[in-house]
Amino acid sequence: MRHGSDEQPRHFTAPGDAPRVIDQGSVWILVAAPSIWAAHFLLSYWLAAIWCAKSGPMASLVEPRWIIVALGLISAALITWLGWIAVRRYGGVFVIFEEITESSERGRDRFIGHVALLLCVLSVVAIGFTVIPGLVFATC
Amino acid sequence: MTDEIDLSRLPPPEPYDQARDKAQRKRLMDAWREPPGWKIISAVNNSHIGKWYLLTSFAFFTFAGILALMMRAQLAVPGNDLLSQQLYNQLFTLHGTAMMFLFAVPIFEAVAILILPEILGARDLPFPRLSAFGFWCFVIGGIFVSGSIFFGVAPDGGWFMYTPLSSDPAYSGLGTDIWLLGLSFIEVSSIAAAVELIVGVLKSRPPGMRLNLMPLYCWYVLVVAGMILFAFPPLIAGDLLLEMERAFGWAFFDPDRGGDPLLWQHLFWIFGHPEVYIIFLPSIALIATMLPTFAGRPMVGHSWIVLSAVGVAFLSFGLWVHHMFTTGLPEISLSFFSAASEAVAVPTGIQIFCFIATMLVSKVRPSVPMLFAGGALAIFVFGGLTGVMVALVPFDWQAHDSYFVVAHLHYTLIGGMLFPLFAGIYYWYPFVTQKTFNARAGRWSFWLMFGGFNVAFLPMHWTGIMGMPRRVWTYDLSDGWAVLNMVSTIGAFIFAAGFAVLALNVLWPRGKAPLVERNLWNAGTMEWAAEVPDKPWGVRSIPYIHTRYPLWEQDGLIGEIDRGEWFLPDAEEGKRELIVTDILDARPLFVQRVGGPSFLTLGSAFCLGAVFILATFHLWTITLIFGAGFVGFTLWWLWTGTSLIPERPEKYAGRGLTLPTYAQGNRSPGWWAVFITMTGDMTAFMGLVFSYFFYWTALPDFLPSAAHLPGFGWLLLGLALLIGAWAMTTASRETLGHGRRRLSMALLIGALPVGALGIGAWGWSAYAKGLDPTVQSFDAMVWMLILWMGLHLLLNWVMHLYVAARVKFGHCTPEYRADLMNLTLFSHFLALTAVTIFALLALFPLMMGVGP
Repeated sequence: MRHGSDEQPRHFTAPGDAPRVIDQGSVWILVAAPSIWAAHFLLSYWLAAIWCAKSGPMASLVEPRWIIVALGLISAALITWLGWIAVRRYGGVFVIFEEITESSERGRDRFIGHVALLLCVLSVVAIGFTVIPGLVFATC
Repeated sequence: MTDEIDLSRLPPPEPYDQARDKAQRKRLMDAWREPPGWKIISAVNNSHIGKWYLLTSFAFFTFAGILALMMRAQLAVPGNDLLSQQLYNQLFTLHGTAMMFLFAVPIFEAVAILILPEILGARDLPFPRLSAFGFWCFVIGGIFVSGSIFFGVAPDGGWFMYTPLSSDPAYSGLGTDIWLLGLSFIEVSSIAAAVELIVGVLKSRPPGMRLNLMPLYCWYVLVVAGMILFAFPPLIAGDLLLEMERAFGWAFFDPDRGGDPLLWQHLFWIFGHPEVYIIFLPSIALIATMLPTFAGRPMVGHSWIVLSAVGVAFLSFGLWVHHMFTTGLPEISLSFFSAASEAVAVPTGIQIFCFIATMLVSKVRPSVPMLFAGGALAIFVFGGLTGVMVALVPFDWQAHDSYFVVAHLHYTLIGGMLFPLFAGIYYWYPFVTQKTFNARAGRWSFWLMFGGFNVAFLPMHWTGIMGMPRRVWTYDLSDGWAVLNMVSTIGAFIFAAGFAVLALNVLWPRGKAPLVERNLWNAGTMEWAAEVPDKPWGVRSIPYIHTRYPLWEQDGLIGEIDRGEWFLPDAEEGKRELIVTDILDARPLFVQRVGGPSFLTLGSAFCLGAVFILATFHLWTITLIFGAGFVGFTLWWLWTGTSLIPERPEKYAGRGLTLPTYAQGNRSPGWWAVFITMTGDMTAFMGLVFSYFFYWTALPDFLPSAAHLPGFGWLLLGLALLIGAWAMTTASRETLGHGRRRLSMALLIGALPVGALGIGAWGWSAYAKGLDPTVQSFDAMVWMLILWMGLHLLLNWVMHLYVAARVKFGHCTPEYRADLMNLTLFSHFLALTAVTIFALLALFPLMMGVGP
């Protein structure tokens, strides 16, 4: 797919075809998992803040608790799906001593897949951290 | 797979010819030579700007350090009257402000501007004049803010300038305005540097340096510059609100008029906490770069460090409320932030473990830089552990605003930021000056600073636990803090002595000393390929990189670069040239010409500085005159230096590679710079949106009755006109592409009155209902959003006229229309802003059931 911003002067363009950042889906996966964490975090915070502001200082938190947990589960599921993409499409692996230094498109993909997978794990852990207070607190 | 040119199968280089080499070197020298004599101030080359930036930041560091010593002298004994309370307030405010805004953040930019292009094997960053502009803004703003203390009007409200103390002119004088405007000005230069560095990492990598081969330093720079883009703008939004309240009495933070002082704390700390990581990560990046050198092997867990950098960058935005644990927010809210504050320790710990693992699996060569790196890790881990303590809400309630927090923050910042930076200073000293430092003095400086630091700050944990609050100018003997304070003061002076040794070691003139050998540390990264003595062009020819540590893993690379066997070995046209590559795989896209020395950037920075300084004193007429000067200089700079149509559409870059000499749209760095800048702009706008919803959440009667809402019909009409103006801009890009220059110009100019009518309709919608920004926070918020749109529209008009003139004079043609593409991109963001404001002002009240 070509966009208006792709058009170059007609005379001459670079040899070979430069890959596009979005269309080839190669960088977005790096920020997708932590962005889901951010969205979950902000939604949980806003939900609790608005709930507590609108229903008084000692309001019960039982109802929003399940929304926070459900949000956490949905986010974790989304991230699992992302992790699956990182493994299947990018060939990401979970290793400690990574040596993905191959100078090829596939090497770059595998590196991104690997880092994306690590970020998925971190994001799920961080979402877990956010859900815990939701389970513990009974009132604002 | 894409159709990729195989850089590993390029034709062999032409056989070496000494005469050709000499001629090429002369032409390169002519293109990159710096202006002689006093005109050197017009230099824009990264090696000059980087060095000046570094020295200036350290000058402010020394200044802020002297303020700290004055404070320690005052606190040495109980009941001291060495300094007045008023002066003491100014000292601690200016100490924090200068250390954060004039040292910690700028030093990241300074180091990055100095070494990033060399690590990338590039000749310079893509916008050298922008770097120069940012530097001069920083100098002017920094001197203005720091100099205020000599006139007794320095800011005195603490470095986070809490409202309502700072919003009520009766309690806070000129100092607060100096703080607000001076820092806003410096934030502009930070964001300029961030844009430069992001585009530099993404588009200026050497051919072949794919994302998986990119050095760790570049990952950190990318991540941190991205964080600046999302962290600084909310503070700019906050500054804007606070200054509007101070200067014009708009009701944002005054509870009597429906404002809320807590809003400032949110906006400040949404900036302030990521800021801590913005200054920590680049310093850790220095350790990550030098550690493999001294370990003699690649970093263990390269990708894990990338993970931790990206992870920290995200998580650090979920911590801001941990500075507000005692403000009475619901406990559930506090605990979310407490949890995130604990979680951020996970990725932070990962990178520390990677460092330790690298040291364990190799034999580390002892050296002064490694000494500082080791000291840094020890201090930082200690500070990190107290960080986990204060992240716990109940503990924080006890320790809040006490010297325990002072101790914690200095352990993290000095361990996490200052010591790694000193390690970097020693590590790159031979790279910058091509001389060696005195290692014995280096070790002395380390032990004095390491010992002095711990003597000064370790006791503060106890003074804090014993109840000594921050920012008190004196205390009584009966408080029982006297001995500990005296110990801290002695430690502070030992630390200062260590820094003096370091400063002497670095600044000592070594004119006659022998030059260092090339790559004296035997490092693997590209910056050490620089010739000795240094050449202004950075790299003789731009190599093809296919490993993570090219100097270790690509045999004979230095010789190939020196003989000019790689790309762009020549400057036939006498222009400064870089290769721009693509983001993922660093495939060569085109040859970019960058600007040389110029006084225009200086003039532009000077005028902008004058605008901010004069606005502090409410001298509106001269402010406007200098504002016009700023616009004039900037347009002149752009007109003569950007989007120039090349003399030939392509040029031979060497090794069988012919590249275009012009790019537009998303291949050009300029387009990316606009995109990134506008992302930052949208973040500032989001700060205003956040404020709107914050009021709505915190104040039950924020939304007024239907009679006091801005008129729905006028708002809708205004939106339609603004979107119409946007459509005209977009259409003008298409029509120019089809060769219809006149129509394109007509559309560009025609968009002006359409947009003016649109913003006029919005203004009328609020004015007709009698909304007065000085009376109620809702009214102030409405006017603020309209003002925001108006200011952007004003900028947009200047751009429209500029591009129309470029079309008229043949600088922007149907073929070469980068200017118009960039303008269209700007307009897309503007349209998004307009739609969001409409949703806030017209739709949201309707949804909440107060609309017409």
